[in-house]
Amino acid sequence: MRPEDKERVLAECAQRVFDRYAHDPQRLESAIFDTIYEERRRLEGERRSQRTAAESALYDRIYAEAAAAAPERRRELLRELIGRFADEVVGHFDPRVYALATRAVPLGLNVLLNSLSPLRLAGLLPGGVSRLEDQLTIAGEIDAFRRMVERGTTIVVSTHCSNLDSVLLGYALHRLGLPPYVYGAGLNLFSNRLIGFFMHHLGAYKVDRRKKAWLYKEVLKTYAGCTIEAGYHNMFFPGGTRSRSGAVESRLKLGLLGMGLDAYIRNLQANRPRPDVFIVPVTLNYQLVLEAETLIEDHLKEAGKSRYIIEDDEFSKPRRVLDFVQRLFSLNSRISMVVGRPLDVFGNTVDDEGRSLDRRGRTVDRRRYVQRDGAVTFDAQRDEEYTRELAASVVESFRRNTVLQSTQVVSRVAFEWLREQNPEQDLYRLLRTGGKHSSIPLPQAYARLSRAISALRTMESAGRLRLEDTIKDRDVVAVMSDALAHLAGYHRRPALLRRGDRLFHEDRNLILYYQNRLEGIPLPREAAA
Amino acid sequence: MTSARDLDVLVLGGGNFGTALCTILLENRKKALLWVRRRELAEEINTRHQNSRYLPGVALRPDLVAVSDLAAAAARAPLLLMVVPTKAFREVARALGDHIQGDQILIHATKGLEKDSHRRMSEILREETCALKIGVLSGPNLAGELMAGQPAGALLASHYRECVSAAQAAFAGSRLRLYGGRDVVGTELAGAFKNIIALAAGVASGLGLGDNARALLITRGLSEMARFGVAHGADVFTFGGLAGIGDLMATCASPLSRNHQVGERLARGEKLPAILASMTQVAEGVPTTAAVFSRARQLGLELPIVRAVHGMLYEEWSAQQALAELLRLPVGEELAALRYR
Repeated sequence: MRPEDKERVLAECAQRVFDRYAHDPQRLESAIFDTIYEERRRLEGERRSQRTAAESALYDRIYAEAAAAAPERRRELLRELIGRFADEVVGHFDPRVYALATRAVPLGLNVLLNSLSPLRLAGLLPGGVSRLEDQLTIAGEIDAFRRMVERGTTIVVSTHCSNLDSVLLGYALHRLGLPPYVYGAGLNLFSNRLIGFFMHHLGAYKVDRRKKAWLYKEVLKTYAGCTIEAGYHNMFFPGGTRSRSGAVESRLKLGLLGMGLDAYIRNLQANRPRPDVFIVPVTLNYQLVLEAETLIEDHLKEAGKSRYIIEDDEFSKPRRVLDFVQRLFSLNSRISMVVGRPLDVFGNTVDDEGRSLDRRGRTVDRRRYVQRDGAVTFDAQRDEEYTRELAASVVESFRRNTVLQSTQVVSRVAFEWLREQNPEQDLYRLLRTGGKHSSIPLPQAYARLSRAISALRTMESAGRLRLEDTIKDRDVVAVMSDALAHLAGYHRRPALLRRGDRLFHEDRNLILYYQNRLEGIPLPREAAA
Repeated sequence: MTSARDLDVLVLGGGNFGTALCTILLENRKKALLWVRRRELAEEINTRHQNSRYLPGVALRPDLVAVSDLAAAAARAPLLLMVVPTKAFREVARALGDHIQGDQILIHATKGLEKDSHRRMSEILREETCALKIGVLSGPNLAGELMAGQPAGALLASHYRECVSAAQAAFAGSRLRLYGGRDVVGTELAGAFKNIIALAAGVASGLGLGDNARALLITRGLSEMARFGVAHGADVFTFGGLAGIGDLMATCASPLSRNHQVGERLARGEKLPAILASMTQVAEGVPTTAAVFSRARQLGLELPIVRAVHGMLYEEWSAQQALAELLRLPVGEELAALRYR
């Protein structure tokens, strides 16, 4: 961000949130006391430290003052709360370091990996760490994406299954020759000092997901909105968090997503020269997911709600990250990023000139959506629905542009077989016990896999989904062995293992995790075996 | 251009319901215009003030003006009300899509599902136009009674509050009382589904069954409707409202309804192709039964009345046989399928 913009955006953000709540006594009261209530609850749950003690004292003071204060003083206190949140979100952003870091982006991945385990990496990887960059392929609507960056402000929204995602995305955007993106990164990404440092200076702002106060979320959202309006490209994960189940995101968080429309309307009202905001859906596709074991375990424990924030997963263990990277090299495994067709803020696709198209490909004058009797207006209820439309289009794009991997397809075949063998067992029991048979005869697995592959290829040629090259071009034996090499290689326990002429399901949770990527894809039912 | 919006409402479709809605709007001192597909019909309405095909013998208001040029008409109103039979719906929607703009509100009042694709009408509007502010109007609105100047009520469901309030403003103070709602799926499915029950009620009349049997049929039909709707994400309460039980009561009580007539003639032993060949207007219940039947199969839903009507329409079941099948069904707890979802 340009230095002259930083202060302005921050002030604008704080002022906007302030104006929303300061003028109505009731809203003012709940803004202050709801925030203190949520913050105190958060502090109770955290380990005591000097920092938490200081925070508690601060909230005690504001509480005591606000309880007895006149509206004027309350407004000052609200300003203080908002100011604290805003400063924390934006952090100690230094434009000079930012300029430097922008040039340093190509080193981003190396920095990440080296900072996790510099000595090990240098010694273990013959070609040096830069090879990870070769492992990333970028496909899809790259030209259209570039054009939208020239024509307006873009918001990249990506699928999310690993903490490596933001680093990879940052790198991919750089490789495409695009300017750096502003994005909100979870605190855990900042916990490593060096990554945190670079994150900050690459445009990341800090998101503390432990903070549940709506005032805080309002500050976050507003900050993102202000940066979009100021013309800064944004990036975020609309699923809100890493997919726990392994499935492609189907429900998106609408709050942040809606800031694109908000900025578009404000740009139109202010007659800004480049008012347009474009949404660019992106998928990131892995054969193996670094944190798969933790994620699926969390998903199964009360279907994903148990721990919204995971701090002790594989990402926080340098050894695991290293294993993971090594595995990628040795299996020649690729990570692919697919850029979807850019959308307008209402979910319509746009052509290369940035014009919105309806589903029949006819040009749409998108300004009309926000006009009422000729004037550009806000309408909270309407805009929320528009954002729902956008979310549906993004989900649809995620579906179509997810590149299915051999690990996922083979897991699906194995898991379907398990379920069919044990119709009387519910999912959780099946995962625990494994059912009647611990292994699948290989010929059966091949037959099923080959049917699944041909169905998937049909769907691929109809443009409904994407397949990685092995599934697209190679025979069933190659697909199977590619999958098994991956599934048996990296994780603590192999998910699926071949012994003799049978396939043994060793870690059913992982099989479930990988097969979940195919959720919602109708594969032909097998006749009961 | 916005300045060209010289109308309040454009009604699309010159069938009896479209004509009736346009009449009520004019009566309510709104600037309303009727678009019809055939030029001859427009001429008949404008010069002789009659719609002899769909409302024979009814004298239309002299200020009811019809046009057949869609391009010119579509831009003139902020609110479009589409009342076109399901068979022609996609085609008209696509043509409309060439002219409509994103600030216009698009409401349809067509009850039924698209053949083969089983799409709801609002889904078709979404596919064929750039409109986002889409709504559905549905309820017990027999066109004959509306034309006779009688009061009625309907539900206007949309995800967009602006849609509801615009439609309510157009009909405010008129004889058509418009209630607002958000459950688009439920409203559309109820409107489509009730035609099946109306057909079944016709069969019951044809068999000479009385009010007890008819009440049984309507109530159990409502329960099937609700189960079908809920399986598609509808709000169960919608079926207790105007678009659900309300519409069922009117449709099943009226021996004049087309679906009712088809049922009655089936009960008398006539064959479906012959019945359809002798009718000038569409009986939506016939294609809807096929659509709902196959959809329910996919979802694994048990809908005995739909099953029986399907048998009569497409599988050569006699009316007696269908009735016998229904009476042989096991009786369980009345609302179990809804209550223990």
